[in-house]
Amino acid sequence: MAYLLQHLLTESAGRAPGRPAMASGERFLSYEELDRLSNQVARALLAQGVAPGDRVGILALKSAASVVAVFGALKTGACYVPLDPKSPAGRLAAIMTDSGIAVVLADEGTAQQAAAMAESVPQLRSLIVTGPHWGPEVSRTSGTLPPGLVVVPWDAVLAGPAEALAADRAIDTDLAYILYTSGSTGAPKGVMISHRASLAFVEWAAACTSLGDQDRVCSPAPLHFDLSVFDVFATCRAAACMAVVPEMTSMFPARLAQWMERERISIWYSVPSVLTMLVTYGNLRGFDLSALRAIIFAGEVFPAKHLSGLMAELPGARYLNWYGPTETNVCTWYEVPPGSAALTAPVPIGQPCANTDAFAVTDEGRRVSEPGEEGELYVRGSALMRGYWGDPEKTHRMLVQNPFQAAYDEPAYRTGDLVKLDEEGNYVFLGRRDGMVKTRGYRVELGEVESALYGHPAIREAVVLPVPDELLGSRLRAVISANGPGGLTREEVLDHCRRRLPGYMVPDVVEFRKALPRTSTGKIDRAQLVGTQ
Amino acid sequence: MEAVINDYISRELVQDATLLPLGNATPLLETGILDSLSLLRLVMFIQEQFGIAVDDLDLVPAHFASVDTICAYLRSGAGGKAGQAGGLG
Repeated sequence: MAYLLQHLLTESAGRAPGRPAMASGERFLSYEELDRLSNQVARALLAQGVAPGDRVGILALKSAASVVAVFGALKTGACYVPLDPKSPAGRLAAIMTDSGIAVVLADEGTAQQAAAMAESVPQLRSLIVTGPHWGPEVSRTSGTLPPGLVVVPWDAVLAGPAEALAADRAIDTDLAYILYTSGSTGAPKGVMISHRASLAFVEWAAACTSLGDQDRVCSPAPLHFDLSVFDVFATCRAAACMAVVPEMTSMFPARLAQWMERERISIWYSVPSVLTMLVTYGNLRGFDLSALRAIIFAGEVFPAKHLSGLMAELPGARYLNWYGPTETNVCTWYEVPPGSAALTAPVPIGQPCANTDAFAVTDEGRRVSEPGEEGELYVRGSALMRGYWGDPEKTHRMLVQNPFQAAYDEPAYRTGDLVKLDEEGNYVFLGRRDGMVKTRGYRVELGEVESALYGHPAIREAVVLPVPDELLGSRLRAVISANGPGGLTREEVLDHCRRRLPGYMVPDVVEFRKALPRTSTGKIDRAQLVGTQ
Repeated sequence: MEAVINDYISRELVQDATLLPLGNATPLLETGILDSLSLLRLVMFIQEQFGIAVDDLDLVPAHFASVDTICAYLRSGAGGKAGQAGGLG
């Protein structure tokens, strides 16, 4: 019985060694190869001093190499920390320092970038290049390597033994990975997920989709986004094939549709905005997507008209709305009834997953039980995070004692999402309590963007507001009052943000005011600003 | 047209200041200037600015490789007027 994520791989490699684990165009990696390569990476990590409980960074776009890295890291008993290659160096440095990463795995495309991090992350001592390299030829611009950084090339990893390590080095309550998400006070926070929590989701997801070894699963979500837990681990559990879509393809909707046809993708999982692009620009009628039997979406509200449009184009697929914050992975789900051609409102987030308890608590502290009642959604169960890395204070604010059980300590996670119960007993998402918004499916704490703005010496006050956008969820509008007369320009503000924040957190709109409006208590009057767009 | 598009991309989409000033022939895809987020914004800008709705099958790397190729594509008359976008139409 699999109690660690890596057991999913060793079991599949044992019973279906020749089946493709990962494929990209002509190339594929069998389960046996994935198992052996990850053993080699694990040994290379051990040789660099990685011990159980350590945090190993993985800086790579999703690829065969990055999945080899994931399993290699897990096999050492360490947990992996996915690092987004599109993040600015400062943010990556903050994450690597916060989680204490001493060894990082990178692929051919990101090795240079990873090596450069050694300058700002003093405890980083080793870089191991993972493979196989399936991407386009990368020009190896030979930059000078930081002194003291040990670099282990892929050839050296391949020279090591490929046999499994003698014994497990972790137990199921140990951490499997830490996913960093936007932090409201400016610093990203690391959501800690154990093997057991991850497997709770993986088991449910595999059952929900009836994942079988003939399936070809694709999610364009990067490794640091918890959607990828499905296509990496649930696929592995079923000995199915994970198809990796090249970014150049996923960006161009008609090419994506063509790729999905050629790869015979059977299960797709992504944020709604990718699906909206697909239905609007993908020329779906020109392709045979009959292999697609399940389309799963999560991360943001899917505008009803685009979901209806997609269902009309691809009526043969199941449509599943999976809801849940990173702290719980998916906790509720809803299957859109077939033939829902004329949806007028976003679909519900549905009902709790099997073996998960999700309930809503009204402002008065009662459990929501009647249709029409509203409250904040709480989640209880094995899939919950362990907490936020290095932040017990925030952990205790969000992981609270189950409000309806007082006999013993039991955590429940407060999602901060407001929901309402509908007539069918489904939860409907109403909105957030706080300053967190979704843009393009990504989670953004407005406070993190504001904090970045306050880092500019010429900015006296700054407020970031969400502007509802049908396609993106929200766009970000920054309203700024500057210090002194010196003309701070929009370009300067955007440039400043780009150095500190990933692209999706950079404001779309920048406005300058002499002074920001205030409420009677002296706080910045956000409501008034929203009204004066 | 080149100036308008170059200006928009330079101001709105370029994350890495070392890539500026942006040449009209600078590769937009390999450099990562255009990714799935920024491509969407560019297409929306083209629609708002020029009233041209980029046709599905024209959303391909060849047309969006550089400012020059974008303009060549837009001038070629391909793509419908705003309001007649591809897909469900």
